[in-house]
Amino acid sequence: MRRYTRLYWEFAKSHMKVMMEYRIDFLIGVASVMLEQFASIFFVKVVFDHIEQINGWSFYEILFIYGIAATGRSIHQIFFDNLWTLGWQYIRPGKLDRLLIRPVNPLFHVVADRLHQDGFGQLIIGLIILGTAIPQLDLVWGAAEIAMLIIMIISSGLIFVAINLFFATFSFWMIDSLPIVWAVFNLSDFARYPLTIYHKGIRMFLTWIIPYGFTAFFPAAYFIDKSGYKEFALWTPVAAIVCCVLAYAFWNRGLKAFASTGS
Amino acid sequence: MRKYWQIAKGRMQENTAYSAWYWAGTVSAVMRLLIIYFFWQAVYANQTTIQNINLETMLTYIVIAMLLQGFVGGVGNELAENIKDGQVAIELMRPYDMIFKLFAVDIGAKIMYLIQGTIPMVLIAYFFMDLSFPKSPETVLLFVVSALVGIWIGTFFDFLVGVLAFWTVNVWGVRVLKESLITFFSGALVPITLFPDWLRTITEFLPFQAMIYLPVSIYSGLISGTEAYMALGVQLFWLVSLYVLVRVIWSQAIKQITIFGG
Repeated sequence: MRRYTRLYWEFAKSHMKVMMEYRIDFLIGVASVMLEQFASIFFVKVVFDHIEQINGWSFYEILFIYGIAATGRSIHQIFFDNLWTLGWQYIRPGKLDRLLIRPVNPLFHVVADRLHQDGFGQLIIGLIILGTAIPQLDLVWGAAEIAMLIIMIISSGLIFVAINLFFATFSFWMIDSLPIVWAVFNLSDFARYPLTIYHKGIRMFLTWIIPYGFTAFFPAAYFIDKSGYKEFALWTPVAAIVCCVLAYAFWNRGLKAFASTGS
Repeated sequence: MRKYWQIAKGRMQENTAYSAWYWAGTVSAVMRLLIIYFFWQAVYANQTTIQNINLETMLTYIVIAMLLQGFVGGVGNELAENIKDGQVAIELMRPYDMIFKLFAVDIGAKIMYLIQGTIPMVLIAYFFMDLSFPKSPETVLLFVVSALVGIWIGTFFDFLVGVLAFWTVNVWGVRVLKESLITFFSGALVPITLFPDWLRTITEFLPFQAMIYLPVSIYSGLISGTEAYMALGVQLFWLVSLYVLVRVIWSQAIKQITIFGG
């Protein structure tokens, strides 16, 4: 464990140096992600200029849901974004074979290979959204609530990681599963809005099959207690852990299948 | 024998990668349709119109805008790639105008996209989502012309963004930035008439509304009559201006290459 922390630190330090080297690019990355997120919030704002509520949810409540998803996703985007590149940067050019003979966990190596600068834009915008929404909600904030919020956000991030890891793993059999990862990742757009607006089938799907519901709506429902999901929301951290365990097990299977073909 | 099997297998795997992209695109588009559908259903649950737009017109607008957005842009990516890997220097020596070559490739890609991506989406949308058709053949014709002009404006703009690869390393970031600008100002997400006044004014001075908002408004009947022809005039103005800009910036960029080349 200590060895891995030290290793990660070494990796991170060199990324930071590169980022500072290309300062304009760093800023472009941060700005672009912020503007991207801002565009979709702006869309909701424009709609709310003309209406009072959607399905019983006010603007700031929807903003709160969005904020949790955005912040959670930043954890994934900053630290685990390299999973996207598993197929075309590691398996296709044969780089993964080199990683396999090193005395380091290959998943750790892939993940630590890059810190993604653009994720910082995501983090900043997520915190801004939460900071805007929370004071407008009629909630009491004590230490327990803040702790809970942090747990929920970390869980949200871990679910993003687990889902991406799971589908990236398919690359071991099909060289590059990027299209699948991308399509599944787009599902997370559903999570921007209260799940209650969707058809029951979609709701079930986003809760039990590809659990993006736990990245935003359920955590938010724990604090905004009007959908009857407050109790259920407590399963969020459990869902996060289960997802990670499943995804990691699947990764190990894929790795074994990959190594045994010897290609 | 084994060798050839490996080659064949590699080829097959490559092809599955491409068709996987195709299916991923379709699946994502269907999902976006679903989100749009349920979102607007919920919005209209408590009212019949927003700014005189009813649910049917709104859904029609949003879906057509979404389909059109798939065509806006395209050459920028290829150009940026060519610049990054130095291919551009070789391309420039070839006996054709590189700009036209890029546009030709792009047209091919867009025709494929029309057949593979758009038509299935249109079918799904019309089967499941009660959309409205334009009122008259004249409107249809105006829409087609307006959409084509809009696509070209988008293509020229995309080209200008692609040229930035000469100066920046983070091409991905620039592309996201471009996408956001278009999504934001083009009226791709929501009709511009719903914007606050000050923002609408800004939008009218930018080329983005000519890419999506104007054609889609003609289609869905938000703009009609003389206004529609005026919209077309605005589009033509942007089309010509951006083309001139493309030519000017490209000739500047080529000088840049010559300097690199020594």
